[in-house]
Amino acid sequence: MPEAAVAPGLAAPAAAAPLLAIRRLSKIYNEVAVLDRASLDVAKGEIVMVIGPSGAGKSTLLRCLNRIEVPSEGEVVLDGVNMGGTLRDGKLVPDAAAVTARKRRDIGMVFQRFNLFAHLSALQNVAIGPRLVLGMPREEAEARARRELERVQLGAHMAKRPNQLSGGQQQRVAIARALAMQPKVILFDEPTSALDPELVGEVLEVIQGLARDGMTMLVVTHEMQFAREVGTRIIFMDGGRILEDSPAKQFFERPEQPRARDFLARVARQH
Amino acid sequence: MNEFDWGTVWYAIPYMLMGTWVTLEICLLSILFGTLVGVVCGLLSLSGVRPVQWLVRAYVYFVRGTPALVQVFLIYFALPQVGIYISAFWCGVIALSFNAGAFIAEIVRASVESIDAGQTEAAMAIGMTHRQSLLHILLPQSLRRMTPPLTNELITLVKGSSLLSVISITELTRSGQVIIAERFTPFEIYMVLAVFYLVLISILSRLSEYVEKRLA
Repeated sequence: MPEAAVAPGLAAPAAAAPLLAIRRLSKIYNEVAVLDRASLDVAKGEIVMVIGPSGAGKSTLLRCLNRIEVPSEGEVVLDGVNMGGTLRDGKLVPDAAAVTARKRRDIGMVFQRFNLFAHLSALQNVAIGPRLVLGMPREEAEARARRELERVQLGAHMAKRPNQLSGGQQQRVAIARALAMQPKVILFDEPTSALDPELVGEVLEVIQGLARDGMTMLVVTHEMQFAREVGTRIIFMDGGRILEDSPAKQFFERPEQPRARDFLARVARQH
Repeated sequence: MNEFDWGTVWYAIPYMLMGTWVTLEICLLSILFGTLVGVVCGLLSLSGVRPVQWLVRAYVYFVRGTPALVQVFLIYFALPQVGIYISAFWCGVIALSFNAGAFIAEIVRASVESIDAGQTEAAMAIGMTHRQSLLHILLPQSLRRMTPPLTNELITLVKGSSLLSVISITELTRSGQVIIAERFTPFEIYMVLAVFYLVLISILSRLSEYVEKRLA
Protein backbone atom coordinates (compact mmCIF):
# COMPACT_ATOMS: atom_id res chain seq x y z
CA MET A 1 0.00 0.00 0.00
CA PRO A 2 1.55 3.28 -1.01
CA GLU A 3 -0.36 5.15 1.72
CA ALA A 4 1.49 3.26 4.42
CA ALA A 5 4.83 4.58 3.26
CA VAL A 6 3.76 8.19 3.68
CA ALA A 7 1.61 7.94 6.76
CA PRO A 8 2.23 11.08 8.80
CA GLY A 9 4.56 10.73 11.71
CA LEU A 10 6.50 7.83 10.29
CA ALA A 11 10.21 8.36 10.11
CA ALA A 12 10.44 7.23 6.53
CA PRO A 13 13.80 5.85 5.42
CA ALA A 14 15.47 7.56 2.47
CA ALA A 15 14.33 4.88 0.02
CA ALA A 16 10.70 5.48 0.92
CA ALA A 17 10.94 9.25 0.71
CA PRO A 18 7.85 10.68 -0.96
CA LEU A 19 8.10 11.49 -4.66
CA LEU A 20 6.37 14.78 -4.00
CA ALA A 21 6.52 16.59 -0.69
CA ILE A 22 4.38 19.65 -0.14
CA ARG A 23 5.15 21.64 2.99
CA ARG A 24 2.90 24.37 4.39
CA LEU A 25 2.18 25.71 0.95
CA SER A 26 0.27 29.00 0.99
CA LYS A 27 -0.94 31.50 -1.55
CA ILE A 28 -2.16 34.85 -0.35
CA TYR A 29 -4.08 37.24 -2.60
CA ASN A 30 -5.02 40.62 -1.20
CA GLU A 31 -4.51 39.35 2.32
CA VAL A 32 -6.78 36.36 1.73
CA ALA A 33 -5.17 32.94 1.96
CA VAL A 34 -6.67 31.08 -1.00
CA LEU A 35 -4.26 28.30 -0.16
CA ASP A 36 -3.54 27.96 3.53
CA ARG A 37 -0.56 25.93 4.74
CA ALA A 38 -1.28 22.83 2.71
CA SER A 39 0.98 19.88 3.47
CA LEU A 40 0.95 16.60 1.64
CA ASP A 41 3.25 13.73 0.76
CA VAL A 42 2.64 11.82 -2.43
CA ALA A 43 4.36 8.49 -3.07
CA LYS A 44 5.29 7.22 -6.48
CA GLY A 45 2.32 5.67 -8.25
CA GLU A 46 -0.30 7.28 -6.03
CA ILE A 47 -3.40 8.76 -7.57
CA VAL A 48 -4.52 11.61 -5.38
CA MET A 49 -7.98 12.97 -6.06
CA VAL A 50 -8.46 16.53 -4.84
CA ILE A 51 -12.07 17.40 -4.21
CA GLY A 52 -14.03 20.14 -2.53
CA PRO A 53 -16.36 23.04 -3.24
CA SER A 54 -15.41 25.73 -5.74
CA GLY A 55 -13.10 28.32 -4.25
CA ALA A 56 -11.59 25.71 -1.96
CA GLY A 57 -8.10 26.32 -3.33
CA LYS A 58 -7.81 23.06 -5.28
CA SER A 59 -6.62 24.64 -8.52
CA THR A 60 -4.37 27.03 -6.66
CA LEU A 61 -2.74 24.06 -4.94
CA LEU A 62 -1.92 22.46 -8.30
CA ARG A 63 -0.77 25.73 -9.86
CA CYS A 64 1.55 26.42 -6.96
CA LEU A 65 3.16 23.00 -7.35
CA ASN A 66 4.65 23.79 -10.76
CA ARG A 67 4.87 27.49 -9.94
CA ILE A 68 2.53 28.70 -12.64
CA GLU A 69 1.54 30.64 -9.59
CA VAL A 70 4.29 31.56 -7.20
CA PRO A 71 3.36 30.40 -3.72
CA SER A 72 3.56 33.00 -0.96
CA GLU A 73 5.03 30.52 1.51
CA GLY A 74 5.99 26.91 1.89
CA GLU A 75 7.88 24.54 -0.32
CA VAL A 76 7.45 21.83 -2.88
CA VAL A 77 10.06 19.11 -3.25
CA LEU A 78 9.83 16.74 -6.21
CA ASP A 79 12.11 13.71 -6.10
CA GLY A 80 14.55 15.57 -3.90
CA VAL A 81 14.49 18.76 -5.99
CA ASN A 82 13.10 21.89 -4.40
CA MET A 83 10.87 23.52 -7.00
CA GLY A 84 11.36 27.02 -5.61
CA GLY A 85 15.05 27.34 -5.02
CA THR A 86 18.48 25.81 -4.80
CA LEU A 87 20.44 25.14 -1.64
CA ARG A 88 23.65 27.13 -1.53
CA ASP A 89 25.76 27.12 1.63
CA GLY A 90 22.80 25.74 3.55
CA LYS A 91 20.51 28.53 2.39
CA LEU A 92 17.67 28.24 -0.08
CA VAL A 93 18.35 30.70 -2.90
CA PRO A 94 15.37 31.48 -5.16
CA ASP A 95 15.80 30.13 -8.67
CA ALA A 96 16.27 32.15 -11.82
CA ALA A 97 13.38 31.87 -14.28
CA ALA A 98 15.35 29.52 -16.55
CA VAL A 99 16.01 27.13 -13.66
CA THR A 100 12.33 27.10 -12.70
CA ALA A 101 11.46 26.36 -16.33
CA ARG A 102 13.89 23.44 -16.32
CA LYS A 103 12.39 22.02 -13.11
CA ARG A 104 8.87 22.29 -14.50
CA ARG A 105 9.67 19.66 -17.13
CA ASP A 106 9.19 16.99 -14.48
CA ILE A 107 5.64 18.08 -13.66
CA GLY A 108 3.03 17.59 -16.34
CA MET A 109 -0.16 19.60 -16.28
CA VAL A 110 -3.53 19.18 -17.94
CA PHE A 111 -5.88 22.15 -17.84
CA GLN A 112 -9.62 22.47 -17.63
CA ARG A 113 -9.75 24.38 -20.90
CA PHE A 114 -7.18 22.17 -22.67
CA ASN A 115 -5.00 25.14 -23.70
CA LEU A 116 -3.69 23.43 -26.80
CA PHE A 117 -1.43 25.64 -28.89
CA ALA A 118 -3.99 26.96 -31.33
CA HIS A 119 -1.62 27.42 -34.27
CA LEU A 120 -0.16 23.92 -34.16
CA SER A 121 -1.46 20.51 -35.26
CA ALA A 122 -2.10 17.80 -32.68
CA LEU A 123 1.26 16.24 -33.56
CA GLN A 124 3.13 19.53 -33.27
CA ASN A 125 1.39 20.27 -29.98
CA VAL A 126 2.84 17.10 -28.54
CA ALA A 127 6.21 17.26 -30.31
CA ILE A 128 7.07 20.87 -29.50
CA GLY A 129 8.01 20.11 -25.89
CA PRO A 130 10.49 17.32 -26.67
CA ARG A 131 11.86 19.27 -29.62
CA LEU A 132 12.18 22.74 -28.15
CA VAL A 133 12.51 22.07 -24.45
CA LEU A 134 14.36 18.75 -24.47
CA GLY A 135 16.27 19.62 -27.62
CA MET A 136 15.46 16.40 -29.48
CA PRO A 137 15.92 16.18 -33.25
CA ARG A 138 12.64 16.73 -35.08
CA GLU A 139 12.33 13.10 -36.24
CA GLU A 140 12.79 11.74 -32.76
CA ALA A 141 10.42 14.27 -31.17
CA GLU A 142 7.71 13.50 -33.72
CA ALA A 143 8.16 9.76 -33.26
CA ARG A 144 7.64 10.22 -29.55
CA ALA A 145 4.63 12.46 -30.19
CA ARG A 146 3.08 9.82 -32.46
CA ARG A 147 3.55 7.18 -29.78
CA GLU A 148 1.88 9.33 -27.14
CA LEU A 149 -1.00 10.26 -29.44
CA GLU A 150 -1.58 6.60 -30.22
CA ARG A 151 -1.57 5.90 -26.51
CA VAL A 152 -4.53 8.29 -26.12
CA GLN A 153 -6.25 6.77 -29.20
CA LEU A 154 -5.68 9.74 -31.48
CA GLY A 155 -3.49 8.11 -34.10
CA ALA A 156 -5.99 9.14 -36.77
CA HIS A 157 -6.10 12.82 -35.90
CA MET A 158 -2.46 13.87 -35.69
CA ALA A 159 -2.54 16.40 -38.51
CA LYS A 160 -5.63 18.25 -37.21
CA ARG A 161 -5.61 21.65 -35.60
CA PRO A 162 -7.22 22.01 -32.16
CA ASN A 163 -10.28 23.76 -33.62
CA GLN A 164 -10.92 20.67 -35.78
CA LEU A 165 -11.07 18.39 -32.73
CA SER A 166 -13.84 17.73 -30.23
CA GLY A 167 -13.32 18.79 -26.63
CA GLY A 168 -12.62 15.22 -25.59
CA GLN A 169 -10.06 14.81 -28.35
CA GLN A 170 -8.43 18.12 -27.46
CA GLN A 171 -8.10 17.08 -23.86
CA ARG A 172 -6.52 13.79 -24.90
CA VAL A 173 -4.00 15.68 -27.04
CA ALA A 174 -3.28 17.80 -23.98
CA ILE A 175 -2.65 14.63 -21.97
CA ALA A 176 -0.34 13.32 -24.70
CA ARG A 177 1.48 16.67 -24.66
CA ALA A 178 2.10 16.28 -20.94
CA LEU A 179 3.15 12.63 -21.31
CA ALA A 180 5.65 13.44 -24.05
CA MET A 181 7.79 15.26 -21.50
CA GLN A 182 7.93 12.01 -19.47
CA PRO A 183 7.12 13.83 -16.23
CA LYS A 184 7.43 12.30 -12.79
CA VAL A 185 3.96 13.45 -11.85
CA ILE A 186 0.98 14.82 -13.78
CA LEU A 187 -1.45 17.40 -12.41
CA PHE A 188 -4.99 17.41 -13.76
CA ASP A 189 -6.95 20.60 -13.11
CA GLU A 190 -10.61 19.64 -13.57
CA PRO A 191 -9.83 17.82 -16.81
CA THR A 192 -13.47 17.08 -17.67
CA SER A 193 -15.27 20.19 -16.37
CA ALA A 194 -15.30 21.94 -19.75
CA LEU A 195 -16.51 18.89 -21.66
CA ASP A 196 -19.94 17.96 -22.94
CA PRO A 197 -21.25 15.09 -20.80
CA GLU A 198 -20.91 12.51 -23.58
CA LEU A 199 -17.19 13.30 -23.97
CA VAL A 200 -16.26 12.96 -20.30
CA GLY A 201 -15.91 9.18 -20.46
CA GLU A 202 -13.16 9.06 -23.09
CA VAL A 203 -10.95 11.41 -21.07
CA LEU A 204 -11.53 9.60 -17.78
CA GLU A 205 -10.67 6.33 -19.51
CA VAL A 206 -7.32 7.71 -20.59
CA ILE A 207 -6.57 8.90 -17.06
CA GLN A 208 -7.57 5.50 -15.73
CA GLY A 209 -5.18 3.92 -18.22
CA LEU A 210 -2.35 6.09 -16.92
CA ALA A 211 -3.22 5.01 -13.40
CA ARG A 212 -2.85 1.39 -14.45
CA ASP A 213 0.55 2.20 -15.95
CA GLY A 214 1.67 3.50 -12.56
CA MET A 215 1.75 7.22 -13.31
CA THR A 216 1.73 9.43 -10.24
CA MET A 217 -1.14 11.90 -10.50
CA LEU A 218 -2.95 14.64 -8.64
CA VAL A 219 -6.42 15.14 -10.05
CA VAL A 220 -8.78 17.96 -9.15
CA THR A 221 -12.18 16.64 -10.09
CA HIS A 222 -15.90 16.89 -9.53
CA GLU A 223 -16.49 13.37 -10.87
CA MET A 224 -17.08 11.55 -7.58
CA GLN A 225 -17.65 8.14 -9.08
CA PHE A 226 -14.34 8.43 -10.92
CA ALA A 227 -12.53 9.72 -7.83
CA ARG A 228 -13.76 6.76 -5.88
CA GLU A 229 -12.87 4.16 -8.49
CA VAL A 230 -9.52 5.45 -9.68
CA GLY A 231 -8.19 7.43 -6.73
CA THR A 232 -5.95 5.74 -4.22
CA ARG A 233 -6.36 8.67 -1.92
CA ILE A 234 -8.74 11.58 -1.46
CA ILE A 235 -7.82 15.07 -0.38
CA PHE A 236 -10.77 17.16 0.68
CA MET A 237 -10.21 20.91 0.65
CA ASP A 238 -12.27 23.86 1.76
CA GLY A 239 -11.38 27.47 2.49
CA GLY A 240 -7.84 26.98 1.22
CA ARG A 241 -7.06 24.18 3.64
CA ILE A 242 -6.68 20.45 3.37
CA LEU A 243 -9.35 19.22 5.77
CA GLU A 244 -9.23 15.55 5.09
CA ASP A 245 -6.70 13.16 3.63
CA SER A 246 -7.83 9.54 3.55
CA PRO A 247 -7.80 6.42 1.39
CA ALA A 248 -10.49 6.72 -1.28
CA LYS A 249 -12.75 3.97 0.00
CA GLN A 250 -12.65 5.25 3.55
CA PHE A 251 -13.35 8.83 2.50
CA PHE A 252 -16.51 8.00 0.60
CA GLU A 253 -17.80 5.52 3.16
CA ARG A 254 -16.85 7.27 6.38
CA PRO A 255 -15.80 10.89 5.84
CA GLU A 256 -14.44 12.28 9.09
CA GLN A 257 -14.99 15.99 8.65
CA PRO A 258 -18.50 17.44 8.91
CA ARG A 259 -17.77 19.72 5.95
CA ALA A 260 -16.70 16.75 3.84
CA ARG A 261 -19.93 14.97 4.81
CA ASP A 262 -21.95 18.06 3.84
CA PHE A 263 -20.12 18.30 0.55
CA LEU A 264 -20.69 14.65 -0.33
CA ALA A 265 -24.35 14.93 0.60
CA ARG A 266 -24.76 18.02 -1.62
CA VAL A 267 -22.99 16.37 -4.53
CA ALA A 268 -25.08 13.22 -4.10
CA ARG A 269 -28.29 15.25 -4.26
CA GLN A 270 -27.26 16.75 -7.59
CA HIS A 271 -26.81 13.36 -9.25
CA MET B 1 -15.57 79.03 -61.51
CA ASN B 2 -12.38 78.67 -63.44
CA GLU B 3 -11.84 75.96 -66.03
CA PHE B 4 -10.03 72.90 -64.71
CA ASP B 5 -6.55 73.24 -66.20
CA TRP B 6 -5.83 69.81 -67.69
CA GLY B 7 -2.70 71.16 -69.37
CA THR B 8 -1.07 71.72 -65.98
CA VAL B 9 -2.07 68.26 -64.91
CA TRP B 10 -0.33 66.60 -67.87
CA TYR B 11 2.63 68.86 -67.31
CA ALA B 12 2.81 67.93 -63.61
CA ILE B 13 2.46 64.17 -63.83
CA PRO B 14 6.04 63.30 -64.89
CA TYR B 15 7.47 65.49 -62.11
CA MET B 16 5.11 64.05 -59.59
CA LEU B 17 6.00 60.52 -60.65
CA MET B 18 9.58 61.36 -59.75
CA GLY B 19 8.32 62.63 -56.41
CA THR B 20 6.35 59.44 -56.01
CA TRP B 21 9.52 57.45 -56.52
CA VAL B 22 11.22 59.36 -53.68
CA THR B 23 8.17 58.87 -51.46
CA LEU B 24 8.23 55.15 -52.24
CA GLU B 25 11.92 54.87 -51.41
CA ILE B 26 11.50 56.71 -48.13
CA CYS B 27 8.37 54.81 -47.18
CA LEU B 28 9.75 51.37 -47.99
CA LEU B 29 12.91 52.05 -46.02
CA SER B 30 10.89 53.49 -43.13
CA ILE B 31 8.47 50.56 -43.16
CA LEU B 32 11.44 48.22 -43.01
CA PHE B 33 13.28 50.04 -40.21
CA GLY B 34 10.13 51.10 -38.38
CA THR B 35 8.82 47.53 -38.31
CA LEU B 36 12.19 46.26 -37.18
CA VAL B 37 12.40 48.84 -34.39
CA GLY B 38 8.76 48.23 -33.49
CA VAL B 39 8.99 44.45 -33.29
CA VAL B 40 12.22 44.57 -31.29
CA CYS B 41 10.84 47.20 -28.89
CA GLY B 42 7.52 45.37 -28.67
CA LEU B 43 9.30 42.14 -27.71
CA LEU B 44 11.53 44.02 -25.27
CA SER B 45 8.47 45.46 -23.56
CA LEU B 46 7.21 41.87 -23.19
CA SER B 47 10.57 40.58 -21.98
CA GLY B 48 9.78 41.02 -18.31
CA VAL B 49 13.04 42.94 -17.82
CA ARG B 50 12.02 46.06 -15.96
CA PRO B 51 14.65 48.65 -16.98
CA VAL B 52 14.21 47.69 -20.64
CA GLN B 53 10.44 47.96 -20.33
CA TRP B 54 10.80 51.44 -18.87
CA LEU B 55 13.02 52.55 -21.73
CA VAL B 56 10.53 51.34 -24.32
CA ARG B 57 7.72 52.99 -22.40
CA ALA B 58 9.57 56.29 -22.35
CA TYR B 59 10.17 56.05 -26.10
CA VAL B 60 6.51 55.35 -26.82
CA TYR B 61 5.46 58.11 -24.42
CA PHE B 62 7.61 60.65 -26.24
CA VAL B 63 6.54 59.68 -29.76
CA ARG B 64 2.86 59.49 -28.87
CA GLY B 65 2.97 62.79 -27.03
CA THR B 66 4.66 64.94 -29.69
CA PRO B 67 3.52 65.89 -33.20
CA ALA B 68 5.19 64.02 -36.03
CA LEU B 69 6.11 67.36 -37.60
CA VAL B 70 8.02 68.35 -34.47
CA GLN B 71 9.79 64.98 -34.51
CA VAL B 72 10.83 65.57 -38.12
CA PHE B 73 12.25 69.01 -37.27
CA LEU B 74 13.93 67.69 -34.15
CA ILE B 75 15.80 65.03 -36.06
CA TYR B 76 16.61 67.33 -38.95
CA PHE B 77 17.97 70.12 -36.75
CA ALA B 78 19.14 68.18 -33.71
CA LEU B 79 21.42 65.69 -35.41
CA PRO B 80 23.79 68.36 -36.80
CA GLN B 81 23.90 69.90 -33.30
CA VAL B 82 25.50 66.73 -32.00
CA GLY B 83 27.84 66.49 -34.95
CA ILE B 84 25.89 64.01 -37.05
CA TYR B 85 25.57 65.21 -40.63
CA ILE B 86 23.36 63.13 -42.86
CA SER B 87 21.25 63.99 -45.87
CA ALA B 88 17.69 65.24 -45.57
CA PHE B 89 16.59 61.99 -47.19
CA TRP B 90 18.03 59.88 -44.39
CA CYS B 91 16.78 62.32 -41.76
CA GLY B 92 13.34 61.68 -43.21
CA VAL B 93 13.77 57.92 -43.08
CA ILE B 94 14.98 58.14 -39.48
CA ALA B 95 12.11 60.41 -38.44
CA LEU B 96 9.44 58.20 -39.98
CA SER B 97 11.01 54.98 -38.67
CA PHE B 98 11.38 56.50 -35.21
CA ASN B 99 7.75 57.55 -35.23
CA ALA B 100 6.30 54.31 -36.63
CA GLY B 101 8.56 52.14 -34.46
CA ALA B 102 6.91 53.38 -31.28
CA PHE B 103 3.39 52.74 -32.50
CA ILE B 104 4.33 49.35 -33.92
CA ALA B 105 5.93 48.42 -30.58
CA GLU B 106 2.57 49.10 -28.96
CA ILE B 107 0.75 47.06 -31.60
CA VAL B 108 3.08 44.10 -31.07
CA ARG B 109 2.79 44.32 -27.29
CA ALA B 110 -1.01 44.63 -27.31
CA SER B 111 -1.49 41.79 -29.82
CA VAL B 112 0.71 39.40 -27.88
CA GLU B 113 -0.94 40.35 -24.60
CA SER B 114 -4.36 39.69 -26.10
CA ILE B 115 -3.55 35.99 -26.54
CA ASP B 116 -5.34 33.83 -23.97
CA ALA B 117 -3.32 33.39 -20.77
CA GLY B 118 -3.90 29.64 -21.02
CA GLN B 119 -1.45 29.49 -23.93
CA THR B 120 1.33 30.91 -21.79
CA GLU B 121 0.43 28.62 -18.91
CA ALA B 122 0.51 25.56 -21.17
CA ALA B 123 3.91 26.64 -22.51
CA MET B 124 5.21 27.14 -18.97
CA ALA B 125 3.84 23.78 -17.89
CA ILE B 126 5.97 21.87 -20.43
CA GLY B 127 9.03 23.77 -19.26
CA MET B 128 9.35 26.45 -21.93
CA THR B 129 11.27 29.54 -20.99
CA HIS B 130 9.62 32.93 -21.29
CA ARG B 131 11.49 33.53 -24.52
CA GLN B 132 10.50 30.19 -26.04
CA SER B 133 6.83 30.73 -25.29
CA LEU B 134 7.00 34.27 -26.66
CA LEU B 135 8.69 33.27 -29.92
CA HIS B 136 7.08 29.89 -30.57
CA ILE B 137 3.63 30.19 -29.03
CA LEU B 138 2.51 33.79 -28.57
CA LEU B 139 4.09 35.62 -31.48
CA PRO B 140 2.95 33.23 -34.24
CA GLN B 141 -0.61 33.44 -32.91
CA SER B 142 -0.61 37.21 -32.71
CA LEU B 143 0.68 37.85 -36.25
CA ARG B 144 -2.79 37.75 -37.70
CA ARG B 145 -4.18 40.04 -35.01
CA MET B 146 -1.40 42.48 -35.70
CA THR B 147 -2.10 42.82 -39.38
CA PRO B 148 -5.07 45.24 -39.33
CA PRO B 149 -3.61 47.73 -36.82
CA LEU B 150 -0.23 47.39 -38.50
CA THR B 151 -1.82 48.28 -41.84
CA ASN B 152 -3.32 51.39 -40.28
CA GLU B 153 0.04 52.36 -38.91
CA LEU B 154 1.78 51.89 -42.27
CA ILE B 155 -0.92 53.96 -43.96
CA THR B 156 -0.28 56.68 -41.40
CA LEU B 157 3.41 56.40 -42.20
CA VAL B 158 2.89 56.84 -45.95
CA LYS B 159 0.64 59.84 -45.41
CA GLY B 160 3.00 61.21 -42.79
CA SER B 161 5.82 61.13 -45.31
CA SER B 162 4.27 64.27 -46.83
CA LEU B 163 5.56 66.12 -43.75
CA LEU B 164 9.05 65.61 -45.11
CA SER B 165 8.29 68.25 -47.73
CA VAL B 166 9.19 70.77 -45.00
CA ILE B 167 12.79 69.59 -44.81
CA SER B 168 13.38 70.11 -48.51
CA ILE B 169 12.99 66.51 -49.62
CA THR B 170 11.36 66.55 -53.03
CA GLU B 171 9.00 63.72 -52.34
CA LEU B 172 5.50 63.54 -53.73
CA THR B 173 3.95 66.47 -51.84
CA ARG B 174 6.87 68.80 -52.41
CA SER B 175 7.08 67.88 -56.08
CA GLY B 176 3.51 69.11 -56.35
CA GLN B 177 4.23 72.28 -54.40
CA VAL B 178 7.12 73.09 -56.71
CA ILE B 179 4.78 73.01 -59.69
CA ILE B 180 2.17 75.09 -57.86
CA ALA B 181 4.82 77.73 -57.21
CA GLU B 182 5.65 77.68 -60.89
CA ARG B 183 2.15 77.54 -62.47
CA PHE B 184 -0.13 78.94 -59.70
CA THR B 185 -2.64 76.08 -60.04
CA PRO B 186 -3.05 74.80 -56.48
CA PHE B 187 -6.46 73.20 -56.98
CA GLU B 188 -5.45 70.99 -59.93
CA ILE B 189 -2.18 69.93 -58.38
CA TYR B 190 -3.62 69.11 -54.94
CA MET B 191 -6.30 67.04 -56.68
CA VAL B 192 -3.63 65.09 -58.52
CA LEU B 193 -1.67 64.79 -55.28
CA ALA B 194 -4.71 63.33 -53.51
CA VAL B 195 -5.21 60.79 -56.30
CA PHE B 196 -1.54 59.76 -56.16
CA TYR B 197 -1.72 59.16 -52.40
CA LEU B 198 -5.00 57.29 -52.79
CA VAL B 199 -3.38 54.94 -55.27
CA LEU B 200 -0.37 54.35 -53.00
CA ILE B 201 -2.55 53.67 -49.98
CA SER B 202 -4.88 51.39 -51.94
CA ILE B 203 -1.96 49.25 -53.04
CA LEU B 204 -0.80 49.02 -49.43
CA SER B 205 -4.28 48.04 -48.23
CA ARG B 206 -4.59 45.34 -50.87
CA LEU B 207 -1.23 43.98 -49.89
CA SER B 208 -2.22 43.76 -46.26
CA GLU B 209 -5.53 42.07 -47.07
CA TYR B 210 -3.55 39.48 -48.98
CA VAL B 211 -1.15 38.97 -46.07
CA GLU B 212 -4.02 38.69 -43.61
CA LYS B 213 -5.67 35.98 -45.72
CA ARG B 214 -2.42 34.10 -46.02
CA LEU B 215 -2.00 34.15 -42.24
CA ALA B 216 -5.49 32.77 -41.66
